[in-house]
Amino acid sequence: MENLGALAVLLAFCLAVFAILAGFVGGWKRNAFLAHAAGRAVYSVWILLTVAASVLVYSLITGDYRFAYVAEHSNRAMPLMYKFASWWGGQEGSLLFWSWLLSCYSAVVVFTNRRRHRSMMPYVIGTLMMTQCFFLIMNSFVASPFKMLAVGRTIQAVADGNGLNPLLQYPAMAIHPPMLYLGYVGFVVPFAFAIGSLITRQPGDEWIYTTRRWALVTWLFQSTGILLGAGWAYAVLGWGGYWAWDPVENASFLPWLSATAFLHSVMMQEKKGMMKVWNMVLVSGTFFLCIFGTFLTRSGVVSSVHAFAQSSIGPWFVGFLAIMVAGTLYLILDRLDYLKTESRLESVISRESSFMFNNLILVAACFSILWGTLFPVISEWATGEKISVGKPFFNRINIPIFLFLLFLTGVGPLFAWRRTSLESLRRNFQWPLVAGLVLVAGLIAAGMRAPFALTAFGLCLFVAWTIVAEFYKGARAISAKTGGNLLAGAYELTRRNQRRYGGYIVHMGIVVMFVGFAGSAFNLDSTVEVNKGDAFSIGHYQLRVMDLTSGDNDNYAWNRAAIDVNKDGAPLGVFYPERRFYKSGERQATSEVAIRRRLNEDLYLNFAGMSDDNQRAVIQAYVNPLVSWIWIGYYVLLFGTLACLVPSKVRLQYARTQVLGVKKKAYAPAEK
Amino acid sequence: MHRLKSSLLVLVVAAVCLGQAPNPLANPRVRRLGDQLMCLCGCGATITGCNMLGCSHSKPAREKLLAMVNAGMSDSAILDSFVQEHGVEILAKPPAQGFNLLGYVVPFIGIAAGLAFVWLVIKRFRKPLAVAGGPEIDDAAFASYQAQIEKDLEKLDR
Repeated sequence: MENLGALAVLLAFCLAVFAILAGFVGGWKRNAFLAHAAGRAVYSVWILLTVAASVLVYSLITGDYRFAYVAEHSNRAMPLMYKFASWWGGQEGSLLFWSWLLSCYSAVVVFTNRRRHRSMMPYVIGTLMMTQCFFLIMNSFVASPFKMLAVGRTIQAVADGNGLNPLLQYPAMAIHPPMLYLGYVGFVVPFAFAIGSLITRQPGDEWIYTTRRWALVTWLFQSTGILLGAGWAYAVLGWGGYWAWDPVENASFLPWLSATAFLHSVMMQEKKGMMKVWNMVLVSGTFFLCIFGTFLTRSGVVSSVHAFAQSSIGPWFVGFLAIMVAGTLYLILDRLDYLKTESRLESVISRESSFMFNNLILVAACFSILWGTLFPVISEWATGEKISVGKPFFNRINIPIFLFLLFLTGVGPLFAWRRTSLESLRRNFQWPLVAGLVLVAGLIAAGMRAPFALTAFGLCLFVAWTIVAEFYKGARAISAKTGGNLLAGAYELTRRNQRRYGGYIVHMGIVVMFVGFAGSAFNLDSTVEVNKGDAFSIGHYQLRVMDLTSGDNDNYAWNRAAIDVNKDGAPLGVFYPERRFYKSGERQATSEVAIRRRLNEDLYLNFAGMSDDNQRAVIQAYVNPLVSWIWIGYYVLLFGTLACLVPSKVRLQYARTQVLGVKKKAYAPAEK
Repeated sequence: MHRLKSSLLVLVVAAVCLGQAPNPLANPRVRRLGDQLMCLCGCGATITGCNMLGCSHSKPAREKLLAMVNAGMSDSAILDSFVQEHGVEILAKPPAQGFNLLGYVVPFIGIAAGLAFVWLVIKRFRKPLAVAGGPEIDDAAFASYQAQIEKDLEKLDR
């Protein structure tokens, strides 16, 4: 048992090496036997890694404290769910989780394409297994989760383990890392197809059609992971916020941004045969950013509260990234002839141009966040002086960029493909623009002075109006034709072009989220030291401490406050913020905040600790306007993405609007 | 003058520490200034935002901030004092001068370069394709083809 996991990982590594060789040689020599064997090796890697993962999970659940990993990240008092979540709670286990997920994805890719892309698949397998091989090197030789505790040459178990980091013992946190990993790992698949397409010099867009859904599903996982992380930070960390621009948060956001750019620019390739090189760059960039994100979390290059313990695996990641970047760059430059654009732009004011600007701003946002994340390292290297780059820096740089992106979200769909007449522009822009400006004027008149929030609210209405107008125009035309109502018309409209209208719903989700983000400009907060019976207030809320209690169980000790809350005199009930001190490990404290969630604002109460003299409770109270809209926006985004994934009722054929060899006859006056 | 200020500061800090100290974060100015200073305990939060229990950095820093605020020091003098003690690492955003200026301008230089690049691409892609030697057609036929193309494209997904 104790050697089974390590042996399975080692065998998987050997088979991954075989799959790389069989894939590339089989593809190059057009040897069907080798290509087929590469596919079978992928299935075998999946089986072996499932065995290895099962051994680790079994050991975590049963508490086999002979394993160093189990002793470090699990303990007897933890609930079953968190024992399972310990699989990805530490460095070694999470690397095995990465490998296992990639093996699952790879097996699905091989199975679903077993009768397709015969020339490209061996290279796709080779590329997938190269990534797999890298992670298996980590699992086997650098950070093995199957190391045993021993005294001398005798394997020995400890009585109990340290337990999972208490901050991770929260339901959303049990799902958040797998979601992010599903995102990170999933982007390997479009990248592998892109490389396969480059190597085999595919003239068409086959890789785009094949990986479109992969990219979208992966993007959805990444979005879910990011939002779950934000939700976790909001509910567990106790500082009243959901995003701190922490390097590890940024690392998850970077590939999301580049993948979003890819999902947009890919439409240009499908519809117009344009931006082929750019799509290769974006899909590769997204993959590199995924690896970079994994590296950032683990290398200790930047300090982060989220990061795993500093380890020596950084150089391995840098080496792997360097090899992959160099190889991809060579392939793209060598195959430029196959990536020539098929169409020309007919007008600057067109959907095509708006896609280019959208891509530019998404990539700029990605770059600025990457730059901010790495700037402390760059600055220290250049000047020898340590600096910090915190939330104020990121907000200052990124808020204008994201507001411009929001503006483009509204503008893009108003432009037609090929060209847009000024009359059409006026017609489409007029009312959304007026509505946005009227809202801003109204808010200023009402006393609002925060410029970014005002701009955000104005833009949100502008974009929402354009999206609703798009649905309304289409639904009205359909309902006029079919005699149904507008709702049925909107449903039919979406069914006819799932991707387009699903995309609009996703845009609406982003708008709703921006409403939530803009609300943060009006946050209120207060910190008080209170005794039983004390009262304080924040905003419209009056709070009175009814009781202060403490206690403990097997896993943690706790302090709890019972706070009676009134709003403008009306009773809202009693809230119980709690502070926990976990017994295992370093007796880390966590917050169980009490939140009253409403659409207009959240009341957020955090038991921050006891005062210096241990006589009074320190309570932090926050009023966070509009936060709920962020979570609602996510559900809209989820619904829109799922709508995009459903096949359209009507199969659309996109015409490439290229002018083909027809010459107009030279002008000659007509003869009488 | 400087010594007088320092002595005053020490007195105020001592008085605050000896007495029953109110929570510094109850003071709005402390909160605002604390948001411009990073907690150096490794939590990645600002001095206001750090909620580590008994944090070895944010807790004394808040108390010092309160003492300075109560002593009537200006915002810039307070921030300068923290920079002198801990270096620029304490600032939540680096000062926009010297090498650190790059931190602020490079993203926007990148956007400007990107805009220029997109403009060049648009200009290049707008050049008409060389027309291949196809059959010659007269005005009426050309107009009818063009009308048909426009009609077909209208029907297509925009």
